[in-house]
This record gives sequence, structure tokens and C-alpha cells, in this order.
Amino acid sequence: MTEPIVELDWVTVAYRDRVVLSDVTLSIAAGERVALIGPNGAGKSTLLSAMTGLLRPVSGRIRLAGTPVESLDRLDVARRMAVVPGAANLPFATRVEEVVALGRLPHEDPLRGARPADKAAIAAAIERVGVGQLMGRDARELSLGERQLVLIALAVAQSAQVLVLDEPTVHLDLRHQVGAMELLVDLNERDGTTVIAVLHDLSLAAHFFPRLVLLDAGRVAADGPAQDVLTPDRIRDVFGVDSSFVRLPATAPV
Amino acid sequence: MSPSPSRSARRRGTPAAQLAAFLSVLVLMLVACSGGTASVAPSASPVALASPTAAPTATPAPSPSPTTIPAFPKTLTDDQGTAVSLKAEPKKIVSLTPASTEILFALGAGPRVVATTDFDDYPPAAVALPHVASYTSVDVEKIVGLGTDLVIAGGNSFNDPAAIAKLRDVGVPVLVVYAPDTKGVLKDIELIGQAVGLPAAATDMTTKMQAGFDAVSSATAGLTKPKTFYELDTSTGTIYTLADDSFSAEMVTLAGGAPITTGSKTDFSIPLEKLIAANPELILLGDGAYGVTAAQVKARPGWKVMTAVKNGAIKPVNDLIITRPGPRLVEGLRELAMAIHPDLVLPSAVPIPPVP
Amino acid sequence: MLVGVGVAALVVALVLGVGVGTVAIDPGDTLRILGHRFLGLDIPKTWSDATETIVVDLRLPRVLTAMLVGCALGVAGATFQGLLRNPLADPYVLGTASGAALGAAIAVIIPVRFVILEFGLIQAFAFVGALAAITAVYKLSRIGGLSPLTSLLLTGYAVGSLLAAGLAMAMYVSGAALRQIFNYLLGSFDAATWPRFLATLPIIMIASVLIMLRARSLNGLLLGEQAAAHLGIDVRRERRILLALASLVTAAAVAISGLIGFIGLVVPHVVRLIVGPSARLVLPLSAIGGAALLAYADILARLAGGIPVGVVTAIIGAPFFLLILRRARTGYEV
Repeated sequence: MTEPIVELDWVTVAYRDRVVLSDVTLSIAAGERVALIGPNGAGKSTLLSAMTGLLRPVSGRIRLAGTPVESLDRLDVARRMAVVPGAANLPFATRVEEVVALGRLPHEDPLRGARPADKAAIAAAIERVGVGQLMGRDARELSLGERQLVLIALAVAQSAQVLVLDEPTVHLDLRHQVGAMELLVDLNERDGTTVIAVLHDLSLAAHFFPRLVLLDAGRVAADGPAQDVLTPDRIRDVFGVDSSFVRLPATAPV
Repeated sequence: MSPSPSRSARRRGTPAAQLAAFLSVLVLMLVACSGGTASVAPSASPVALASPTAAPTATPAPSPSPTTIPAFPKTLTDDQGTAVSLKAEPKKIVSLTPASTEILFALGAGPRVVATTDFDDYPPAAVALPHVASYTSVDVEKIVGLGTDLVIAGGNSFNDPAAIAKLRDVGVPVLVVYAPDTKGVLKDIELIGQAVGLPAAATDMTTKMQAGFDAVSSATAGLTKPKTFYELDTSTGTIYTLADDSFSAEMVTLAGGAPITTGSKTDFSIPLEKLIAANPELILLGDGAYGVTAAQVKARPGWKVMTAVKNGAIKPVNDLIITRPGPRLVEGLRELAMAIHPDLVLPSAVPIPPVP
Repeated sequence: MLVGVGVAALVVALVLGVGVGTVAIDPGDTLRILGHRFLGLDIPKTWSDATETIVVDLRLPRVLTAMLVGCALGVAGATFQGLLRNPLADPYVLGTASGAALGAAIAVIIPVRFVILEFGLIQAFAFVGALAAITAVYKLSRIGGLSPLTSLLLTGYAVGSLLAAGLAMAMYVSGAALRQIFNYLLGSFDAATWPRFLATLPIIMIASVLIMLRARSLNGLLLGEQAAAHLGIDVRRERRILLALASLVTAAAVAISGLIGFIGLVVPHVVRLIVGPSARLVLPLSAIGGAALLAYADILARLAGGIPVGVVTAIIGAPFFLLILRRARTGYEV
């Protein structure tokens, strides 16, 4: 039995005297595809920050592939876990391939920069994500959907076992949302990349992710397949909204 | 020196009439003097003469005694306290202040002066020399390029201190002079005289100048001193006049006036209200050479309440010789005294520089 | 290849800079003097002592200082722009300019007169003033809940304004020495001497190299502090180190040259237009570009009759600045 690639044990995170996560226990195995859902303020982003070692918990343990995250230096974490940046706020004109190249930062030679292996990884990531036709363009001029894909390519170039995304579909139109989701499924099923995504869109989460972790007020309210997690009662409790779960035929589009 | 800001920005023209007058006096003296003594008997006006020490009759012509002590190399201390070493008698002198230029020429070192400033205006021989400085900067490179072996610069930031430091850095001796009062002027003349190897000429000049000062101050000693406002400049809207304890304030006092000063030692400006409250009895227009007339002064709003304006006691004066700390200062003092006390009778002026 | 072009430009600037001045010197003589003094070539002396003094003691330190300062400003500008993620940042954005100017003004008006190791009172005070200002800005920016970058920028503005008020006061009471303060503010290389150049050279060179070794961190910051952290950069530590190094470089530069604008702002942008935003290329090329630009600006300033070099850089830089503004249109959208 391989140990989980990401493991949280009774993790409590407080931020300026306010407890944001309490006693969160979560175990994600390599190759899984997990969506973190919950209302605003539930602590989803905090959970991600804790996972990547950016936030230190006041109690509990966080391990990446068995190693406590606080014992890893930032570069180690970056080599194991790639976080797709949320919104790209570029101060200077930057071409798409230069953005993707940033993903090699944890691997490249600190002084000399990208080596041939790095360049190959960059090219492969661009190809894999399918943004080849955007090469040469200023990333600031892309549409939001295109930009999101470029950022995913950046994370792919990082060659990490785990891909973490924080609300990747927030500003995307329907077509790009679906496209991004399908890409994640592809990366997960074909390359074996573990995908952990914070999503606000329950339908997307339910449709594309076999496992949902529902956070409510800093605690794990439910953890499992969509039909178990997204019961009308629970949705009413957590989200305060009446809903009904409609199962679509497996072959239907969203 | 009167570092009035906007004043320094104007070109100083030499009133041709003044020059003509000076030259004609010089010529007359030449004729009157018999060769030999440089002294002139005081004209008999017993009323004006107060003390016998004013009479320069006793001073024989200074004949530089031949000395076997070599004058150079020597080290002098300039007005900023810096030791300036001169290896040999300077042959290429640069003057960075108009006053120093006048002093150098008056001492007889004129032929050795190789460059002056943009704003030098006297004597005419100096005006023709190459310029190595403007109001704002000093061309260190040009000075070095001329092979200069002595620079005379103005203290109190008259010339850029950084340029002075630069010149010293590359080995050019710089003598910084700054005269806060008339005594300082005489001291500077002696200092420059020492620096150029003409100490005797310098001493002669300062003795005569001191005598000239004394003549004026004793002539005005017992007279009532009118409250005098010396206008440096008003063209920018701010009124510039003499600062407390300044050089020119001392001049006005020696000339028999009670100068109205700004109330500060460093600030040369005075608010109009303060001036009105001081109520000058006499207004001397130092900026008369730049076109300021008595009529203009009378027309200025608020000024007509002053006694001086009511009485029409507004006179232009030759600012150049009054405020320039050089050899013509005695002449300036005399003019100032005559402007303040028109009925004053002074002994005849001793020509400075001495006629060779 | 670009480096080669840059170095060639520098060499030309050096020769031109040393050849140009108010005293006409035969170009052949200039080269012969340089060869004789610095390459040890055995050349019969056909020039006067005065000429040699002008070339070696007046012009050469001046040109070299201009290059050094240009290099410093280029590197510092690129670093601040990357650190603060703001294309309009320049080396003076965090109060260094006001601190240096106030330091220089104080040095001018205090009635003390001494020289620190031949460095000069104005220069020493300006250096200390610059560093003090940025230290104050850094410490003060830690208070409050704003994001570190916003906090730095706003505090820099506030402290800068305060210091500028102090400077205005100092200028007011300076009396006759106002001109000196003004000269410092306009920036010039008139006061360049060998001791000053040699004292500042190691500071600027070493600090610049240390910055260049950290190019990776600057690159990581392109997408923001969070993204940088996720890419493995210790953001807090790198920010502190880069801030300190860039401030040191800026302080040393303004100490010897006064406030020369636009170099630190414009050169990194021009470099980025050619080679892209990667700090590994932008930093060294900004160093070379800044050095060359300032050396040529000084030559132009001298040819134009000795106008302050800050005026020349403004004339060259302002149109460029407007151009940058036009191109920066999409910088801040989500």
C-alpha cells in the first residue's frame, strides 16, 4: 500500500486569532482526482496554502509523500506540487512560452537558467495543454480562457506529481470551463498526475471529479463521491440552498 | 559681496560716464603730481577735515626695499582657513571674482592674469580675457588647460565649492577670499598681494584705502545719520536690501547713514511692511544702473507714505563700486557719502591704484 | 552577442568621453596619453602636463563615474521594477532620492567642513540619507495590514514626501549655498574624482553581481508573490535581500552623482523590449545599457555647454517614458 501523496492529520490553521481550519483530516492517494468544494469562507484556499506549506498549522501534521511538509524547502515542495496560479497579473509584456518557462524555475540551473531538458519540458507542456498556437503572443493580450490554459501549461511544465488548482474556472465562459476540466481529466488519467482542484461550481465538480471533499466553516463536512456528498439535506445545511440532484446519462455532455 | 539672487543674474554694464570721469581724474592727478611722490596734499577745507591722520602727506612713496629673503615658495592661509602652498611666483593667474580681478590689475599683476569670468567688467583689459566661469559654474578643465598656477576664488559659495575642491585635487592652488567687512577687503588685498609677489604694492594700496575710509568716516562722524534704505533689487517682486552686519551695511554706516537692514544676517529680503514701518529718510537705488528711476519708485503702491518718497530723497548710486570689495571701494564710499550728505566736503581722493 | 554590442558601445563612449571637453585636445594625444598611462606603452611625451592632467584626472574619472552610475541605476531600476512588479518603478521610488537629497542639503548647510577619506561630506551624507530613508520605509511598511508591495510603495511615497518637505526647508535656510544643493538635485559628474570612483566601484559592482545571482527570484516574482512561493522562492527572504542590495546600489550611485532620473526607469524597459522579461538577461543588459546611455548623455551634456546631465536624461527619457505608458495598457487586468 503506497502512502498517500498528500496527507493531513488533524490540521488546525489559525490566521490572526481566527481559526480557519479545524481538525482537518484528509488523505489523497497518488493519481486521484479530488475537488475541494464549499461555500465562500469555508477555508478551501487556506487548505491549499497549508498543503503547499505556505501556511503553517497551529496543530496537526501535513505530509507530502510521507515527508512532513515543514521539513521540505520551498524548492522541494515546488518540485513535488505545482500550483496553477489564479489570476495572472503581469507587469511586463511576457510571451506565452516565457510564462510557461516559469514552471521550470524549481528545476532549472539557478545561474544559467533553462537547460535543454528544461526547454524540452516547456515545449512538451505547451503541446500537452494545447496552447501551441498561442506561442509568441503577449500573455497579457490573451483571453481569460486562453490565459488559464497557459497557466495550466506552466504548472504542467513543473513536472510535479501533484497538480493543484485554486478556482481555475472562475472567469471562464462555459466552453473554456469544460475545456479546462477535460484537460484536467486527461492529465490525470493519461499521465497519472494527482489533481486537486478547488471549485465553486458544484455541477462541474460533480461531473468531472470522482471524489469531492466538502468543507464547511473550516471542517470537513463530507468526503466521497458526488452522490454521497451532495445530498439535498447537506447542500441546504452547508450552502443554504434547496437543490435536487439530477443524474445525467453517462454519455451526456454537461 | 552682496549675493542678491536676481541681481547676479543680470549683466553688469560699465557706465561709460563713470569710467570717463575716473580717467579724467586720473589724468588730472597725473598732471598735478610731480614725478616721485605719490602723495597729494589735501586741499584746504578745514571744516571738513576732522583729524590730521586723514592727511596722507606724510606717506612717502613706497619703494620696495630690495630683499634677499626669497618670496617663494610660501604658504598662505586663505579666508576659509585653508593652507595654500605656492611653489613659485604665479605666472598664470585666474580670477573668479570681479573684485579679485580689479585687485590683481590694480596691484600690477594684470599682465599675469590669463582668464576671468563672464561677468567681469573692469578694467577693460580684463573684459577681453578668456572666460572660465559663469554665474553658475566654473570650467575646471579650461583653467587646467591654461596651465594656471594660481586661482583666486570667492568664498561663501560665490564660486562653486565643488569646483574649488576639484582644482585643488588636480594640484592648482586656489586662494579663497571673502570679505565680510571693509577690514576684510584690506586683508584680502594684502593676501592677494602676498600671493602674487607684490606685497609692497598691496600694503601701499591698503594704507591709502584705509586713509580714504578714515577720511570719509571722520568727515561724517558728527553728522546726523538719515535712515537710509539701500535698494539692491526689486525686479522680482521681493525687495532685496542689506543684511544685518553685512559688508554694505558697514559701508552705509561709514558713509554717515543709518542703514535699514533686513533683520537677519543671511536673508537679504525685507517685507514691504517692515520697510514702511522703518520709514527711510533716504532711498539709494543700487539698481539704478538697470533702469530703476526715482519716478518709478514714487509710483510703487504703498511707497509714497515713506518720508524719503515724500521728500523726493531718492538717488541712484553706482552699485558696482559700492558693493564690490575691491580697490575702488574708497571711491564707492565717497560716492555713498556724497549721496547721503550732499553738502559734505571730502578731501581729494587719493588715486587707487597708485599711478605708476 | 548583445553583450558584445554593449561593451563596444561602452568602449566608444569611453574614448569619446575622454576626448570631449571645453579644452580642445588632439584625439591622437588623448589616445597616446591613455596608452602611456594605462597600458604602459612607451610613448614619447608630445603633450603638456596640463593636457595629461585634463585627460587623466578630470575627464577619465568623469566618464568612468558616469558609466558606473549608469550601471547602478540600470540594475537598480530593473530590480525595483521586478520586486515591486510595477513598470513605473525606478530606483528612487522608495524614498532614496529624497533621503539622499536631504542628506546632501544638510551637508551643505551645516557649518562643518571636512572630508571623509577624500570622499566628501555631501557624498557621505547623501549615501547615509538614502540608506536611512529606505530603511525607514521598509520598517514602517511592515506595520498595517496592506500587502507588502502596496505597503512599500505607499510608505515610500509618504516618507519621500516628508523628506522632500525637509529638503524644501533646508533649501530655504541655505542662503548662499542654495546653488550647491540645486546642483546636487540636478545631478552632475563635475565632482567625479578618482578616490570617489574607486570607493564606490566595489560597492556597486559587488552588489550588482549579487543581485544578478538572484535573477531566478526576480523571475519567480513575475506572476506575483503567491505564484513565486509556489515556484519555490522564499519570497520574504528574497524580497529583503534584493531590496537591500538594490537600495545599496542606488544609494552609492546618488551619493556620487546626485539625482539623475530616467535611466533606472527607461533602460530596463528598452532591454525588455529586445530580450523579454527574464531577469537573467535584463539585469546584465540593463547594467551595460545604463552605463552606455549615461556616458553618452554626459558627453551630450558637455557638448551642449555644460548643462546638467539630468536635463539630458530627461529629454531623452521622457518621450521613452510616454511610450512605455502607452504599451503598459494591459498590465493590470485580471
